[in-house]
Order: sequence, then structure tokens, then C-alpha cells
Amino acid sequence: MNPLDHELKNALRRQEPSADFARRVMAGLQSEPAPRSGWITVIRNLFRFPALRWAMTAALCALLIVGVLAYRRHQQAVAQGEMARAKVMLALHIASSKLNVALRGVRRADGPKKVQDAQRSE
Amino acid sequence: MENALAQAVRGDAGAFESIVREHQGMVFSLAYHFLHDRALAEDMAQEVFLHLFRNLRSIQSPEHLMFWLRKVASHRCIDHLRGQQPQTNMDDLPEPAGPTREHDPLLEERLRRLVASLPERARLAVILRYQEELEYHEIAEVMEMPINTVKSNLQRALAVLRGKLARCMGDVPA
Repeated sequence: MNPLDHELKNALRRQEPSADFARRVMAGLQSEPAPRSGWITVIRNLFRFPALRWAMTAALCALLIVGVLAYRRHQQAVAQGEMARAKVMLALHIASSKLNVALRGVRRADGPKKVQDAQRSE
Repeated sequence: MENALAQAVRGDAGAFESIVREHQGMVFSLAYHFLHDRALAEDMAQEVFLHLFRNLRSIQSPEHLMFWLRKVASHRCIDHLRGQQPQTNMDDLPEPAGPTREHDPLLEERLRRLVASLPERARLAVILRYQEELEYHEIAEVMEMPINTVKSNLQRALAVLRGKLARCMGDVPA
């Protein structure tokens, strides 16, 4: 530290205000409304206490894990639903094809009989 | 102090008074060294603490409280001067009067007067550096200016102080 630094530190060292300074500040506060505690402040204040901070952190972690598990379960249910829907659609498709085949067979069998009936009526 | 802060936020007047008593020296000295007027400095320090009371819920920790008080006090000092007088040029600063000896009991007062006559930003940088013993980056945060500007302000202010003292004393503190 050079001499000027030293002199400046001495010259600019902290000084106390007059003895009644704090009392005057407090007197000035009488006309001030009390500071309001918003909900954000309340939450922030809760985090000031270490034990509560850890408890809140643990609760948040637990909530996060439960949330992830619930989401995965929901995803599985959605996947199972999609699979069941695909199976039903396939079954309906197969049933529809079989019905078409049967219908064509019936029409083919009905065709010559209708011609003989027409000749007989003439 | 953390408890006092939490209690003050909840409206405990005694806790707020203990905060005032803890920091009154710092806030008052900042204002006094800047304005070089005890009465004015007390008024300004009182305003700073009233402002703190209105904004207590925004203070997150004792460290934040310290930073907040320094910053608000510094900005109030600059705002006060801006409303009063034009910007001083460093080269136009008055020189301390009369001869002086090494360890002259008046030297400190002369230095304080000389510091109080520096341009506002340089003055504040010198006060934060030598009263509060802040590092350059901390001064830059309080004054909301680039660190290089803080460094150049300080270097220039010290050069001016050294020059003026040298002319007055005949012996230059290195």
C-alpha cells in the first residue's frame, strides 16, 4: 500500500452519525405504513430457515418423482389403449372382408336360379 | 443479522432499529465523505433508511442488504449533486491551502475536502474504494458502470489528488 492509499484510508474511514440518529430514523418511520408481506415474501421467508429449506427441497423432489411416475403410467395407459384400438380395427377389417366374400358367394349362387325362373315364366 | 432482517420484514420495529444501528456508520460516512456536510449527510442517510423500510421485502440476505444500502446511498448522493451543481472538471479542483507536514493532523481533513471536490463519479469510486475497501468489480456493481470505467476514474482521481497534494506539501506520497 502506498502512502497516498494509506492517507486516503485514514481520511475516509467510517464515522458515526450523531447519537440520536437511529432514534430519529425510527421516529420518521411512525408516519410510514408497515411493510406489507406479499405471498412471494412469505415463501421467500420460509426458505430463510435451513431446516425448512431442506424439507421444502425434499418435498419438491418427492413431488417431482411422483409426477414423473404418474406421467409414465399415463403414457403406458395411452399406449395400451392405442394397441387395443388397433386390434379392434384389425378385427373389424377381417370380419368385413369375410362378409364380402360370403356376400359374393351368395350372389353367385343366386344368379343362375333367377335366369331359369325368368325362362319358365315366358 | 439474518434473524433481525426476517423479524424486521415481519414488522418488528426493534429489529429494524438494530439494522439501522448496524449500518448507520457506513451509510452516513458514504454521504458525509461525498457531500462533506454532516447535517446533509444525516438527512440523506435517514432518507436511505426510510427507503429501506419501504423496500424491506425485496431484501434477500444480509449481504444483499449491505449491497442495497451502498447502492442506494451512492445513487442518492449523485442524484443530490446533479440537482445542485454542474459537473466539476478534475483539472479545476481547488488545491488544499497552506503548507503541511507529514502526519499533519489536518492532512486528513484536507484530503477529505479534496475528495469531496472531485467529480461525482470519481469521488464515489474513491470513497467506495477507500472507505468501504471494495474491489473494482464491486464498485462497478454498486455504480452500475463498466469495470474499466471504474479503474480509469480511480486512476485519474488518484493522479489528481497526488498532484494537488504534492503542490501543497512539497513532498509527494508515491
